[in-house]
Amino acid sequence: MKDRLLGFFDALRQAGLSPSVGETLDAMAAVQAAGVERPLLREALATALVKDQADRAAFDAVFEHYFALPATGGARRQQAPREGDGVGRLGPGMGRGQQPEGRSDARERAEPQRPTPAQQPRAADALARRKALADKPFRDMDAMEVDALDALVAELGRRVRVRFARRARRAKRGRLDVRRTIRRALSRGGVPLELQWKRRRPGKNDLLALVDLSYSAATAAEFLLALLAPARRYFRRVHLLAYVDRPCPVSLEGGHVVPHEPFDLNARSDFGAVLRRLDERWPRGLGRNTLLLVLGDARNNRRPPRADLLAKLHRNTRRVVWLNPEPRQRWNSGDSVMDTYARHVDALLTASSPRLLATALSELARLAL
Amino acid sequence: MEITREAIREGLARARYITTDAVETVLFLALTLEKPLLIEGPAGAGKTEIGKVLAETLHGELIRLQCYEGLDEAKALYEWNYQKQLLRIQADRDQGLSGEEVTQHAFAREYLLERPLLRAISTPRRSVLLIDEVDKADEEFEAFLLELLSDFQVTIPELGTVRATHRPVVVLTSNRARELSEALKRRCFYLWLDFPGAEKEREIVALKVPELDARLQEHVARFVNALRKLDLHKAPSIAETLDWARALRALQIRELNAAAVRQTLNVVLKHEEDLRKADSKLSALIGAATK
Repeated sequence: MKDRLLGFFDALRQAGLSPSVGETLDAMAAVQAAGVERPLLREALATALVKDQADRAAFDAVFEHYFALPATGGARRQQAPREGDGVGRLGPGMGRGQQPEGRSDARERAEPQRPTPAQQPRAADALARRKALADKPFRDMDAMEVDALDALVAELGRRVRVRFARRARRAKRGRLDVRRTIRRALSRGGVPLELQWKRRRPGKNDLLALVDLSYSAATAAEFLLALLAPARRYFRRVHLLAYVDRPCPVSLEGGHVVPHEPFDLNARSDFGAVLRRLDERWPRGLGRNTLLLVLGDARNNRRPPRADLLAKLHRNTRRVVWLNPEPRQRWNSGDSVMDTYARHVDALLTASSPRLLATALSELARLAL
Repeated sequence: MEITREAIREGLARARYITTDAVETVLFLALTLEKPLLIEGPAGAGKTEIGKVLAETLHGELIRLQCYEGLDEAKALYEWNYQKQLLRIQADRDQGLSGEEVTQHAFAREYLLERPLLRAISTPRRSVLLIDEVDKADEEFEAFLLELLSDFQVTIPELGTVRATHRPVVVLTSNRARELSEALKRRCFYLWLDFPGAEKEREIVALKVPELDARLQEHVARFVNALRKLDLHKAPSIAETLDWARALRALQIRELNAAAVRQTLNVVLKHEEDLRKADSKLSALIGAATK
């Protein structure tokens, strides 16, 4: 059984859960205490290994596959070699005539050697698909996969959220918080023995997200906006702008980007024109406390790039971070002027697949807060 | 009391707490393996109640720490009763005692205000430490909790180290207002406590409001179950279901029709927009409940 469980833990890791070593030890102790009847086994493993309800579906799927009932057709089990010994050693709790004996018999009859990983049953495919989707470049996705991105938002967004949360800490020094100091002093007879400092409000900075909605980058743009949603509370103000050849304020509603002004999605990309309009709107830059996040492939249809305006923006903004939804090899090919813009940004990150985009956003947490 | 699954089941039944086998298993495991239990779920599903019920089942003391933003070590662990200490110091000085004696007197155990966490450590009885809504406290507090949960001892500089004679059973609840730290989650066993299904809720209503007509109990349970499926601002809690059942009984309503529901729905739903939404779907809800 122990080997069986170790295999199960590995399967969980492949499915995207990451139980720590301590948790796996807890799981084994729990199984020992609860017994191997299927529902008890399931709950014992879940309580030790699944620490977020969002992971429960994945856990259940892996559990079904791994501890499948022998009668289920087509479900093969990953089994470790000396399985029979482990089963026998478990003791009186196994007396119930069902699965344990049944399983070892079936195993001896049906599978003399270990099944290869290629024989994974259909049940695990959905998990594998989701994992593969996370690493698939945006530009290669078809319509169905774009719809499936919603499921990934929760999973990848969680990591982004945790990263942002970690950065928002309390200050140990700074401005004196008179109110709290006096409150503390009350229990000390009015003597301020401990000074309380004002908490550094995590929402000190503003965020301006400028995303490219032209055909080549639209999927990445929507995914980025969806991932940004939970991070919004760490910024004081969040502006969302979309562009093709001009910036337009947008919002994310029900998973779709909704423009606030008439917006021509079929215009030809022209980031230079976008920069010009931004400069008109904010001639003195965005401000010392604003973070500018740009998502775009820097493809300008050979129109003037106006890198000077980007330089000006950079000087007057806290940070400029550029996420490029194309793989690195394609930068600067054709009409892309990535290098021209790269000189004036603080960080240039690849965001060609969902996972890379999420990683890039986590980097943002480090730079921004 | 020996911890077995049957003992827990009986204990829960005696405390009149109805739940699923899965929950009983998790409680059993947390108690047997002496791991803290983290319970998450929607508000009003019975998370805090479990802590109370466990204390009853184990014939132990319930020590409750209600978390809030800004909760720090002092409020949770211990504080010195500064005013009383000052008085004592004054009195001693008037009597002319030496500095050492004065200090000794001032830091006696009687001037220590024990807050829930210290009480949980130092109580000689078996206890259940219920740390409620830990998601409202901040990350520093979580880190401090973590340290406490691993060692169950506290060093008070003036008095020495206080070690727990019995490790209390620790139950943490969270409404998922924010993500808890990985370290804390790793330390605990996890339980997701969701609202019960219609059948279980009917059992609860039958147990707590037995005077209500059996058919009506079932309709009430099914109605609330259907109500929760709507996209409401705040889904009705189990307590609100029971309040509704009692209200129907008090008004001697025999049947769940549109008029009866409209008259009493504000016992279940406390937001204007939710009431409007439910009203618009009233016939469908009543149909689902009474078919």
